[in-house]
This record gives sequence, C-alpha cells and structure tokens, in this order.
Amino acid sequence: MRETALKDVLRAFLATLLAVLVYSLAGGAGPALLIVLNAFSVVVLYFSVRRGEVFGAFLGTACGLVQDSFSLGVFGVGGLTKTLLGFWAGFISRRIDVVPVFRNGLFMLAMSVLEMILWVLVTAVVRRESLNFHGGLILLQPLVTAVLGSSLFAVERRLRARGSRGA
Amino acid sequence: MPIWEKRRSALILAGLVAFHILLISIQIPRGAEKSLFEKSLFFLFSPVQRAVIGAVRGVGSLWTNYFDLRGVRGENQKLKKEIFFLNQDVRFLGDQLQLYRSEAQVRERLAAFQGKIVPARVIGADSANPYQTIVLDKGSLDGIGKDMAVCDRLGNLVGRTIEPVNFKETMVQLITDKDSSVSVVSSVAGLTGSVTGTSGAVCELRYVLASASGGQLGEELLTTGYDKIYPAGLRVGTIKSLEKDKLSPIFRLITVEPYFRLNTIDIVAVIAKTGGGE
Repeated sequence: MRETALKDVLRAFLATLLAVLVYSLAGGAGPALLIVLNAFSVVVLYFSVRRGEVFGAFLGTACGLVQDSFSLGVFGVGGLTKTLLGFWAGFISRRIDVVPVFRNGLFMLAMSVLEMILWVLVTAVVRRESLNFHGGLILLQPLVTAVLGSSLFAVERRLRARGSRGA
Repeated sequence: MPIWEKRRSALILAGLVAFHILLISIQIPRGAEKSLFEKSLFFLFSPVQRAVIGAVRGVGSLWTNYFDLRGVRGENQKLKKEIFFLNQDVRFLGDQLQLYRSEAQVRERLAAFQGKIVPARVIGADSANPYQTIVLDKGSLDGIGKDMAVCDRLGNLVGRTIEPVNFKETMVQLITDKDSSVSVVSSVAGLTGSVTGTSGAVCELRYVLASASGGQLGEELLTTGYDKIYPAGLRVGTIKSLEKDKLSPIFRLITVEPYFRLNTIDIVAVIAKTGGGE
C-alpha cells in the first residue's frame, strides 16, 4: 500500500516536471497555445481521479505554485484554484463513477470550467480589475483540458486491457 | 473516533486553503514584487525550462547543422549576429539623433551603449498570461540585473528585467503587461505620457491631457528616459487610435500598437545599466 503511494508520488512529481516541459514548449510555439493549454490542470485532474481528494489537493498546491512562479500575477492564486480543483475532482470521482469515456470527458470539462470560474473570481478580487479574456480564446482552455485529460484515461484503459490480454 | 480521523480530508483542505489565503494576503501591499518562496521555486524550475528549450534547440540545430549545408549555416549565423548588433547600433543612432540635436550629446549617449548590450534568447513566457512576462536564458552571471531595458532584434522596446534574476535565467516584464509603465514622447507632436499595457496585444498612452493638441494615427512613440529605467530614444510603438476618454474627460484615450511581436520574438538585447534618462 505504502509502496503504491510512493510510486504515485514519484509519478506525480515526474508528471509535474512533464507539465513544465509542455509549458516551456508551448511558450515557444506562441502566446495563443499558452492561453488554451494548461498542462498543470491536466496533471492535477488525472492524479486526483486516480488517488483521491487529499492527494489531489496536495498535488494541486504543488502544481499551482510552480505555475505561479512562472507568472507575474499574484503568487498563490493558481495554487489556491488548483488545490480546490484537485480536492473537488478527487472527492466527486470517489462518489460517482467517472470511468465511462463520455462521462469522464464531461466530468473533466465540468471540473475545468469550475477551476476557470474560480480563477477569474479570485483574480478579480485580488487584483480588483477585470481580466483580459484574449478575445474569448481563454474560454477554450477548459475544453482543451477536458479533451487531454480524458484522452489520458482512454490511453491508460487501452494499455491495461492490452496488458491483461497479454497476461 | 477522533475528529481528525473523521474529517481528515476537510481539515487538510482547510489547512491548504488557509495557507494560500495567507500567501496571497502577505503579497497584496507589495504588488508585483516576488516573495522569497516564489523566487526559490523559480530558481528550482527555471533551469528545467532552460534545459528543455536548450535540448529542443540543440536537436534542431544538430539536424540543420549536420544535414543541411554546414558551411553556409555557420556563415549565416555569423552574419545574423553581426546584423543583430548593427541593427541595434543603427536604431540607437537614429533614435538618438531625433532626440538630441547636438552632435556631442549623440556621441555621449552612444558611448554609454558600447559593450553594454547582452544578447539573450527567450526560453519561456508567462504561465498565466503570455503578454505579461518572458524568461531569458541569461542572468546575473552575464551581467544582467534588475530594471534593465530589453529590446528586440530591431531595437524596439520589449520590456525591462525584473526579479527574480537567477544565475542564468531572468524574468522580463513586457511593456504589454498592465502593471508596466514607460515614459514616452511622440515623434511629431511631442505628446508626452506613459505607455501602459493592457495584458493584451495593445497598450494605452495615458496621462495625455484632453486639451493637448496634436497626435495622429501612426505617429511613433519613443522613450523619454524620465523613468530612469529605459534609456531615452528607444522605439516603443505607434498610435493606433485617438478618442475622448469617457471615463476620465481630463485625458485622451490613446491606443498604442507596440512594435515588438510576441509571436516572433526569439533573440533580444538587454541593455546593461546606462543611467536611464541621465
């Protein structure tokens, strides 16, 4: 049990590094890609569903703070929203079945939209000014997060099925 | 069963939320200044970003250098480097001539720039809003410090260096960031004001009185150096629109299109301290 938890901590750490890598590459590809793609949210959602609310909250804190350290915005806003995202995602996925593909995608979308709403609200309160929505481009971010997150689960399911067939 | 066991998840969440609220609260009076914790995280993770971009570019350059006309490529690189410095010199020379009529003054200003330009590559953009900051692959070991002007290949103003400045990485606040402010003067009418970002692709020219005459579409804006951060005479952008400010009738609402392009920015010139507008 402890070994599995340690393995997941290590995987989560590697996934956070991978998110930094994806974010770095996206930055080189242009500002539009950075606006629609939030690799840190995908990592938090994936591991929260796998490991539950406590793991999700801690991973959300870590990923959010790393994301904040690469931004000029108020440090902690990303941390707070991703902590809540991790907790909600882990909590809800323990109570309803989010394994079926369509439901999984819908769940990811709902969680990403909630995160975005929370981020907009917290930023507006902290900075006391309206946000730049980049001509609505930022609204695509939850959709992209949901598609990437559910694709990860789909790939994992397929790999497991292939593995069990092989065994 | 103790309350800790029963409500473990809720208590952990409450603790983490309280930690974040405390973290956000202690920053509010300081504005954009970076906390020690934030600097530490940047210190830890920016080398990862640098390594990733370095590796990707390394693989890319390996391919092009070894499989695509090696000799021509090397010569091209050398010429590009020379053009980069020549462009900077020409821009500065032209801009200085516009602001300073006296030849002696021009010489004095240009002497200040000699050997103080540090070329750097862009290795990252802001994770929350790409129009706020970029990260460069040069740092304090290359002579870069806080509050140094940063220009693109053509000498157009991009922004200024801010903390955190690592040994080999530096963060730059773009002029398009809404907390950025650059003192400027228009090239024809001599309108003075402050260019402030909107965290989008365009900026605003603020504090130009409604009673001030002049100013036309396409008119160029140059830095004045009054802010003691940006040297005088750097090209900032052009006036995109001029309207009456409905919210503040004392001032005019002027939109500015910056010269630098975030999509194509790759190499920049950091101007090491030249004494600002002195």
